[in-house]
Amino acid sequence: MSNSEKPTKISKILRTKAQEFLSSHKYADNLVDIIKHFESGADLSACLLSLELIFTNLLKERHMFIQIIPLKPMEATPELQYKEWLRNIYTECFNKILNCCESAPAKIQVQAISTAMNLISFEAKYPLENKLNFKGYLPLGKLKAALMKILSIKHNTSHLTQKYEEYFVYDDVIFFTWKILPLLTAKSNPTELYIINYLQLMEKLPVKKNTQSKIVCCVDEESTKTNFHFDQIKVKRYLNKVWNCMMLWQHTPVTHKQLLIVLLEQVLPHLDKPLLMTDFLMDSLDVGGPISLLALQGMFTMIQVHNLEYPKIFAKLYSMFEPEIFHTKFKARLFYLSDLFLSSTHLPGSLVAAFAKRLARLALIAPSEDIIIICMFIGNLILRHSGLKCLLNHPTGASASADPYIMDESDPLKSNAINSSLWEIQTLQNHVLPSVATAARFINSPLPSVEWDFTKILDNTSDDIFDKEIKKNSKLIVLAFDRPNGLALNRGEKISLHWNI
Amino acid sequence: MAKAKNKKKKLAEHISNKKKLQKTKSLNPFEIHINKQKMKVLGQKLKHDRGLPGVSRAKAINKRKGTLLQEFKLMNKSNKFLDKRIGEKNSGFTEDDRAMARYAAVRIKAHKKASIFNLANDEVLTHKGQTLNEIEKFDDPKSDDDDDSLNEGNTGKLESDFVGDAHFGGGVLTNTGSEGFKSHKDLINQLIAESKKRKAEKQKNKEQTLELTEKLDEEWKDLIPLVNRSVKTAEDRVQEVSEVDDYDKVMRELRFEARGQPTDRLKSEDEIAKEEKEKLEKLERERLSRMKGVFNDSIKTVPHRSADDLDDDFAYDSEPEVTLAYNEKGESNIVSDKSRQVDVEEVQDFNNVEEDNDESEDCDTASEDDLSDLKHESSSDDEGNDTNVVEVEGDEMEEEGNDEELNGISKNDIKTDLLQRKKVMEKARQELPYTFELPESYSDLQEVLKNRSPEYHSVILERMIKCNHPSLAESNKEKLGLLFVYLLQYIDDLNFDDDINSCFKTFACLLPHIFDLAQMNQANAQKSILEVVKEKQKDYRKNKRRYPGPSVLLFFKLISCVFPTSDFRHPVVTPSIVFIDQMLFKCKLNTRKDIAYGFFLVNLILEYTSLSKRYLPSAINFLAGLLHMAIPKNTVQRIRVLPPFKSTSNSLALYRKESTLKMSLKLEPTDLIETEITDDFKVRVLYNALKIISEFNYNFKEFASNREIFALIVKYLELIPIDHYNDNMQEEMKNLLSSLKATTEKKLFYLMAEVKRPKALRLYEPNIQKVYDFKKHKVLSKEKAERAKLLHKIKMEKKGALREIRRDNSFLGRVKIKERIQSDKQRQEKVKRIFAEANVQQSELNAMDRKNKRK
Repeated sequence: MSNSEKPTKISKILRTKAQEFLSSHKYADNLVDIIKHFESGADLSACLLSLELIFTNLLKERHMFIQIIPLKPMEATPELQYKEWLRNIYTECFNKILNCCESAPAKIQVQAISTAMNLISFEAKYPLENKLNFKGYLPLGKLKAALMKILSIKHNTSHLTQKYEEYFVYDDVIFFTWKILPLLTAKSNPTELYIINYLQLMEKLPVKKNTQSKIVCCVDEESTKTNFHFDQIKVKRYLNKVWNCMMLWQHTPVTHKQLLIVLLEQVLPHLDKPLLMTDFLMDSLDVGGPISLLALQGMFTMIQVHNLEYPKIFAKLYSMFEPEIFHTKFKARLFYLSDLFLSSTHLPGSLVAAFAKRLARLALIAPSEDIIIICMFIGNLILRHSGLKCLLNHPTGASASADPYIMDESDPLKSNAINSSLWEIQTLQNHVLPSVATAARFINSPLPSVEWDFTKILDNTSDDIFDKEIKKNSKLIVLAFDRPNGLALNRGEKISLHWNI
Repeated sequence: MAKAKNKKKKLAEHISNKKKLQKTKSLNPFEIHINKQKMKVLGQKLKHDRGLPGVSRAKAINKRKGTLLQEFKLMNKSNKFLDKRIGEKNSGFTEDDRAMARYAAVRIKAHKKASIFNLANDEVLTHKGQTLNEIEKFDDPKSDDDDDSLNEGNTGKLESDFVGDAHFGGGVLTNTGSEGFKSHKDLINQLIAESKKRKAEKQKNKEQTLELTEKLDEEWKDLIPLVNRSVKTAEDRVQEVSEVDDYDKVMRELRFEARGQPTDRLKSEDEIAKEEKEKLEKLERERLSRMKGVFNDSIKTVPHRSADDLDDDFAYDSEPEVTLAYNEKGESNIVSDKSRQVDVEEVQDFNNVEEDNDESEDCDTASEDDLSDLKHESSSDDEGNDTNVVEVEGDEMEEEGNDEELNGISKNDIKTDLLQRKKVMEKARQELPYTFELPESYSDLQEVLKNRSPEYHSVILERMIKCNHPSLAESNKEKLGLLFVYLLQYIDDLNFDDDINSCFKTFACLLPHIFDLAQMNQANAQKSILEVVKEKQKDYRKNKRRYPGPSVLLFFKLISCVFPTSDFRHPVVTPSIVFIDQMLFKCKLNTRKDIAYGFFLVNLILEYTSLSKRYLPSAINFLAGLLHMAIPKNTVQRIRVLPPFKSTSNSLALYRKESTLKMSLKLEPTDLIETEITDDFKVRVLYNALKIISEFNYNFKEFASNREIFALIVKYLELIPIDHYNDNMQEEMKNLLSSLKATTEKKLFYLMAEVKRPKALRLYEPNIQKVYDFKKHKVLSKEKAERAKLLHKIKMEKKGALREIRRDNSFLGRVKIKERIQSDKQRQEKVKRIFAEANVQQSELNAMDRKNKRK
């Protein structure tokens, strides 16, 4: 009972202390008490809240505001001294708050960053000094300190990034983050954690300003437009600068993948010279697995948007169809992409036949949900390329001693697939699952005139098939009629052949 | 020739000329009335541009004269005579001519077509108006023919002397004068009266005798019982008085007891067995059709139909009758049994799929013989009869299944095991009480089954079900359904970690009873098992990388016992296969129990598909992975393998020569809970994996791409170091490799689309376009248009009929007035005549008067 009540009690005490402090100068000691309590490390969240309360109010009331009049020496009045003291404590506290982001539990870290950001926003609204030339002013030093915590070298700071992301609704936060980022970007090889954190931030950080321009540092609506101007060109310049640095880092497979995702989703459209990425993408293509898949997508945009010519792209795509893909998360993307790539009707028939044949081979070992997709995919390929009909309907109906298709050939054009037949699909008509078996039956009847749309089922899992089969609650109730003798069935018993039961 | 032609021509001309003449004759220009046309349209043909009013009126009048006038004349007359005598109306005939003509007509009538060949009886002979045939029937037993012959006196005929007197005058002597002379007329009268009297008398007599006989008969009937009774009465009375016998009592009771309704006779054992067999065969047929699912509906080839097919499903036997014939070497084309057996052996050698044991018990049975024969046939003519082959295979695999089962478990083992079991069961039977209440709740069931051995479980359940059979009470069915659910829960709660062997034994004992319960309440069984599968799958979803507990295995095994796993789609079996598929693809294999678990699942898949011969990639993938694990790997070399297996894993590899020779190479239930992988386990898993692969290989031998399916397995198999294993295993591996290679080396037939039947041209409706006729037609529905048309027609007909009636009336009016005028005229003439006569008389009278006056 005491345990549960204690924190609430303490937070109450701290709150009253803070309010007392704010009410008059008499209780200046309270602040010192709170900070001491804060330093002790207990009840961090309550302390953070009370500190936030104190300083936001102080900033609002402009208690720390010092009028600087040029060419006029400061007079050392007690009030001024008090202000100076407050400012010192404020900067100190800010640093301490940010330090919370390193060691404390994750929840406190998130709270600390939000407190810090709140303080920054209040300081932006009610600046400590009057700067004449630049009104839309964000305390860059403090923002930089916060960002440094986010781009930690030692810890994974995804939760902090998540919290920080909430502030990206403000245009100025975006702009100044971009402005600071080049300064924080490591020039030489940083640690993997740093890269991960960096990429996480990059992934979330928008490049363009939001549609509703909201900014942090405005007290009233009118000043919004006058004070701040989101300079797109500058942001682009910062981005290029940052990206050039990032390309120099050494990447592990994990960061490489992340880098590609960031490149594809955020950066590529804004790069000055996207064609410079070609080498990087081509290198990535050779890595294999999801990385090459992402690179492939990059290549696709390069070819589509930037007129890149890369003849071996189909061979690359072809080599990506390996049995292992069914156990990656990217298989849906691969199917989607290859469907895009092979959507052209001007591709040579032998090339597409090789794809169809390879897919069919893979279907022999693929999980059920993928077999359905593959069947539709092959059907679509045959629909697009009428030359492939010979895979289903051999003109003369001869026989072969073995499948003429060469699975191990890396060049699809040499795989001799066009002389083969889709026996795999025929075999799959004997699949145990009825949904798969029916999907494989498309080769029995004339093909439809419209392509199958498999984009909807790309993300289907075996659970979906399970649910579907459960729902297909047929009214028919059928039971076996052979009474088992003990454990053994009368016929088709296989378990007791191999188990000593 | 020319002449004849000319003649013909002339004739034709003549006739046409005549017709023309007739026409021109009738065409009197003054009779033609021309209807004036307001607008002339070129090329328009008009029906009513000209008419002949006079002619048509005359026609109508003539017609009426023929019909209406005749009716009018006959009005108020009930009948009329038609004189149809031949030649009566013809005044040219004389009387003789008429008679001749009439006689000729009679003769002709007699020689009508029907009787033209009837030579025997031209005329039917009659007697007294009856045909002779009718008389000969002797219908009436009371015919008085014989009476007639017996005594003449009784007949209605006149006496001979009277006749003599009357007819022949009797002679002088008899003619006494006392009676005086009778006139001839008197005599005749007397004669008639006499004969009538006699007839009446005779009739009377006859009736009297009939009456008397009838009366006598009736009286006799009344007498009969009296006569019988009178003989026995004394004895009867004595018996009745002497007290009622026990026997009689019983007998009477028995007599009045409700008698058993006649029913069908009891069936003999043979018949019962036969019925059972038929039932099973029917079920099997249904199962096969379900196994094929939708598949064969579309593939089904249309059987050949002759052009004379009447759609009545009548067909000659499709199997052509083979006529016995001998070739040059003297061998008949119908293969004798011996040569068939040779064939079978050849086939088996060729396939070499079966285990060594198969060869030992060569197919002696006739059925096996036939099947193999068919198998051979199908391989020789391939496309000929696809459907046939499928059916045959269905039967074949049963046989195979049975055989292998028998092979796998040596018979002696089974026997001893069964004997032991029987003993324990007997003991249990004696010890346990005979009746058991159905458990009210799950805890009750637990209470009853607690601390009992598996055999006791079986007996308890058996008695529980027997005591509460649904036929005994209405509510029992639901209660047994509850028991079923409790049993499922009980299986789920079995404690596998303690003693997994006894758990499996308990399950085996429960299984037949679970099967029985499921049969009793099928819908409930299906629903509850499906719920279990759903729940287990839900649990599994939380961590997809780990196998769930062994109870899931038991449930899958239960499903394979209770439901037909060969169905194309089954509401319970299909989801469970999806579940197994998921586990085989996803779950990690680190420890012994994981491997054993996965192996059990693959084994289940084999069992599920043993009849339907279907393919599941994950099962083959798992087996390949097991083989891969058995390859010892050094760090440099990396052999690719598919997930969930790791390319570096070699946990099943043997590094030294296996030493001990184990008795049983089967896997143990304990493998499902232990974690340490021993050498013994490695060998056993590998051995069973090889076995299962060979069975899959046998199942898939018809598949086109089984080479690709088994490619990985072959690859791994070749990499396993063979010399670490004992001879038995080495043999096994070699056999498997060779059989795998044998089945994969076969001809592949390129896929061909089914040849489309030529489609008959579509028959289109004739394209009739309406001619525009300046009239506005309402757009109506078909029925309404039809109705409107009919209404219009009725209206027109009505008008026409009214017009006709009006004309009829006027015609009749004219006729009446004519008659009136005529009759008036006649009357006037009569009056005139009378007046004239009267005038003449008057004048004569006057003249006489004047004469008299003059006088």
